[in-house]
Amino acid sequence: MPAVSKGDGMRGLAVFISDIRNCKSKEAEIKRINKELANIRSKFKGDKALDGYSKKKYVCKLLFIFLLGHDIDFGHMEAVNLLSSNKYTEKQIGYLFISVLVNSNSELIRLINNAIKNDLSSRNPTFMCLALHCIANVGSREMAEAFAGEIPRILVAGDTMDSVKQSAALCLLRLYKTSPDLVLMGEWTSRVVHLLNDQHMGVVTAAISLITCLSQKNPDEFKTCVSLAVSRLSRDYTYYFVPAPWLSCKLLRLLQCYPPPEDGAVKGRLVECLETILNKAQEPPKSKKVQHSNAKNAILFEAISLIIHYDSEPNLLVRACNQLGQFLQHRETNLRYLALESMCTLASSEFSHEAVKTHIETVINALKTERDVSVRQRAADLLYAMCDRSNAKQIVAEMLSYLETADYSIREEMVLKVAILAEKYAVDYSWYVDTILNLIRIAGDYVSEEVWYRVIQIVINRDDVQGYAAKTVFEALQAPACHENMVKVGGYILGEFGNLIAGDPRSSPLVQFNLLHSKFHLCSVPTRALLLSAYIKFINLFPETKSTIQEVLRSDSQIRNSDVELQQRAVEYLKLSSIASTDVLATVLEEMPPFPERESSILAKLKKKKGPGAVSVNELEEGKREGGELNGGGERGADNSNMAASNASTPSPSADLLGLRAGPPVNAAAPSAGSLLVDVFSEAGANDDGFLRDLEPPTESSDSLLAEGPGDSDSAPPSVVSEDPAAPLPESNELLNKFVCKNNGVLFENQLLQIGIKSEYRQNLGRMYLFYGNKTSVQFLTFTTTVTCPGELQSHILFMCTFKKLNVQAKPVEPLIEGGAQVQQVINIECLGDFCDAPLLNIKFRYGGALQNFSLKLPVTINKFFQPTEMASNDFFQRWKQLSQPQQEAQKIFKASHGMDTEVIKAKLLGLGMALLENVDPNPENFVCAGVIQTKAQQVGSLLRLEPNSQAQMYRLTVRSSKDTVSQRLCELLAEQF
Amino acid sequence: MMHFLLLFSRQGKLRLQKWFLPLPERERKKIVKDMTTMVLARKPRTCNFLHWKDLKIVYKRYASLYFCCGLESQDNELLALEILHRYVELLDKYFGNVCELDIIFNFEKAYFILDEFLMGGEIQETSKQSVAKSIEASDMLQETMEEYMSKPAF
Repeated sequence: MPAVSKGDGMRGLAVFISDIRNCKSKEAEIKRINKELANIRSKFKGDKALDGYSKKKYVCKLLFIFLLGHDIDFGHMEAVNLLSSNKYTEKQIGYLFISVLVNSNSELIRLINNAIKNDLSSRNPTFMCLALHCIANVGSREMAEAFAGEIPRILVAGDTMDSVKQSAALCLLRLYKTSPDLVLMGEWTSRVVHLLNDQHMGVVTAAISLITCLSQKNPDEFKTCVSLAVSRLSRDYTYYFVPAPWLSCKLLRLLQCYPPPEDGAVKGRLVECLETILNKAQEPPKSKKVQHSNAKNAILFEAISLIIHYDSEPNLLVRACNQLGQFLQHRETNLRYLALESMCTLASSEFSHEAVKTHIETVINALKTERDVSVRQRAADLLYAMCDRSNAKQIVAEMLSYLETADYSIREEMVLKVAILAEKYAVDYSWYVDTILNLIRIAGDYVSEEVWYRVIQIVINRDDVQGYAAKTVFEALQAPACHENMVKVGGYILGEFGNLIAGDPRSSPLVQFNLLHSKFHLCSVPTRALLLSAYIKFINLFPETKSTIQEVLRSDSQIRNSDVELQQRAVEYLKLSSIASTDVLATVLEEMPPFPERESSILAKLKKKKGPGAVSVNELEEGKREGGELNGGGERGADNSNMAASNASTPSPSADLLGLRAGPPVNAAAPSAGSLLVDVFSEAGANDDGFLRDLEPPTESSDSLLAEGPGDSDSAPPSVVSEDPAAPLPESNELLNKFVCKNNGVLFENQLLQIGIKSEYRQNLGRMYLFYGNKTSVQFLTFTTTVTCPGELQSHILFMCTFKKLNVQAKPVEPLIEGGAQVQQVINIECLGDFCDAPLLNIKFRYGGALQNFSLKLPVTINKFFQPTEMASNDFFQRWKQLSQPQQEAQKIFKASHGMDTEVIKAKLLGLGMALLENVDPNPENFVCAGVIQTKAQQVGSLLRLEPNSQAQMYRLTVRSSKDTVSQRLCELLAEQF
Repeated sequence: MMHFLLLFSRQGKLRLQKWFLPLPERERKKIVKDMTTMVLARKPRTCNFLHWKDLKIVYKRYASLYFCCGLESQDNELLALEILHRYVELLDKYFGNVCELDIIFNFEKAYFILDEFLMGGEIQETSKQSVAKSIEASDMLQETMEEYMSKPAF
């Protein structure tokens, strides 16, 4: 055969390729290519019709040019022409060009589809395969539309050749992945499952891929494949002495779509198979070739995945773990890598967690000695996964010591992991503080904002660790060179808790101050700003330092600093320290109140890094870039919090920045000044990573802080929590939809507040009970709620809201919800006419001084005022016909977003409030309902018909009612329910 | 399912690219760039697997060429290595001691062989005999040597 290989090519093409290869420079190459393009263009445009061979050759040259990385904007038509050639080689090149170059050029697609259609019906297996390949390669929606019906027929037809079946199965899989809605289940589906029994190995192998994908989406329809797959597992061919590795792996993968088989016999056989696979791993290799061991171990790892997936056979799990343990010491790097990776999943199973832990020493050793960074990374991942209370100290210590020499590419992730483990398994917080300070010492550059914010949050929230933290950070700062992050933490903690160690003459106030100030000149502007805030806090903590600090603030390098932020702070702090009385100073500069508990921002950051241990060069870069951008914003947040103190007393241009527009006057600043800080801080902290957004009470400040550019405080927009009612939350529509078919439940929940709802309706009247639960341990102050009806609604519904709160019956004007308490509010509703928009509920309160302000939609929808109407089939159709004006009907066809379970659908329709009529629709699959909407002004009769199509996973919904707006609204509401 | 298969030289020159998912040109170029830089930077005797975004990257070097593919997270790395090996075996059988130049000058053949073997990112035919047989059959449909020599050279 080799002789054939070069002889059948195209000579002109070979010459062109070698010309290109002989080009000495990029310019020469481009010149040669342009010459060739001009030549081809003129040939294509010429009057003389090209013969098939030339056409093929030029198309092939164009393809080559394209693959070199140049744009090709012609030749598509010629390629399409080649498709209809009856010479195999011409057709083949045509298809190759189309597969590589055509995405979905709409005019061409029709021509291409035509050619494909001809080839599919040609009964020539080679042509059919070419056509199927082309469909799979392009895989566009237009192609799916054209062929999704045809391919299943080819796949299961009795007279289709095996090679065509193989292609058809994979082609169908491709179409199913791009356009699942177009591949309709049908009679062929059951026959596809039986391809598992096919004699032809290639057909089975190709079909399993298709069946696996279909089973993931429709497990019930393909359930029978489990027993077929199990019986197939134990047969068939060998690849380097391993029985059918591809087939076996795919079968094991297919089984992972299902729970363990219920049938005892099937399960017994499967367990036997799995045991055989585990046993075989212990046998001596039958060949020294790496292919043999790869194929054998591929099956083994797939079997272990299945065992982990079942997570129900303790014996197998432990055996799997032991097997992986052996691999941990294998001389093949690949196996060590895979064993570490696989053990990560095993570590989360309760049966095998302990068994995994016994390998801790090996894994630690891998972390220290592996030559390959990707293996070391898997080892770090596994250590992270196997960590629990019992071994946390050891693992954290090992990771810390590894950090000193770790590869730059994984340091940031390692830092995050250490920080998380230290926090999660901290028994005593002094250990936690030590660990984080060590982190900063060892890998300061990789310690992101999240990490050092977090240590400060924790120190502030736990008074048992504050003295220790102050002492340790003081000691850490003694080092001649310490990382800037250490200075930040030091400045913050000493500014808050320096007094706790001031009794010791070695750390007297002045010593502390001098120590901090000795770092000042080495630091960047944001850190200097933070230090200035620490200094003003010192003046409050230690009056004896006042003159020294004032002198520093007064010096030209501060008060005339070219950086506006630093200058402003120096001026304001100096002024504050000289005019404010000690009392005022003490209140303004009070100790920070505790932070609200929230998910650790570090954890969120790690989660964001895709998957455990997914680190790549560019992702890290991305992370850094992000870190860099947010850096400014984040720090600003952090020390703006300190800054707020000064602004509270000296309104300045930057006051708006800090959310004080509506802030309290100077004297009353005490409680809120301090706590406002918390909020600015935590908002900034959260924005810093940006993924806590869903956990955040969505105040406006979070948005504007985010939008604020780092550095230019003057031009930054005000970040104020507005006192005006906030616009409804983005999710409020979704929340509203949850209550269309039910009357009770939890309307809303975030970190702070839960709102439950109970409602009842009679005729055109309704009564709703709202329950506001405070989830924190802190009071909500000035809790107010207002209900408004947007626009047209106002004229129709009358709301009579009475505020009834649990603890404040005597003074309803001073609403306050104690931590952990719940208050109830009654809302009476009367429907005067039909309406679309739901009323808005605005909620405002102060939590830790920060104003929370958000709005929800109250789940009052038109269908709540339905009265069910029972009627017989005749009546129904008569009325249906009466409502035949076009605008009286609204119709929607939509995809099922939940399972299409009949009982669930019935329950939802009943919840809607209409009567569900049995035996009315001639098709028993369909649902019809009838009801009358009661408003004060009029009654609106409505009829509904819902037609599910379970094959297509679609519904058609038709609503007719005497009022067009009602039909529309009902249709909209209901389309979201199924 | 395999997302892509790339063949590139030690100098980072792309010799073959096969995409099993439609991706915009810009994204393809970025993937090619990332793969070549990542894989070429690896030291000898390191493992054949990497993580990149959501994908598992499996690569192996055969003489001067790197074979590199991107897999989904549930795919089996070892088996992917064997897919690469199978492909090399098939190329070798077809060209006889295949080298980089064979793939440069007969890129369309390299694509055809791959198409016999993989489809939509899944393995279609695991038997070397069957694949070789169908490639042979399609070669029977090609021109003869005389026809070839009688053709114009440009």
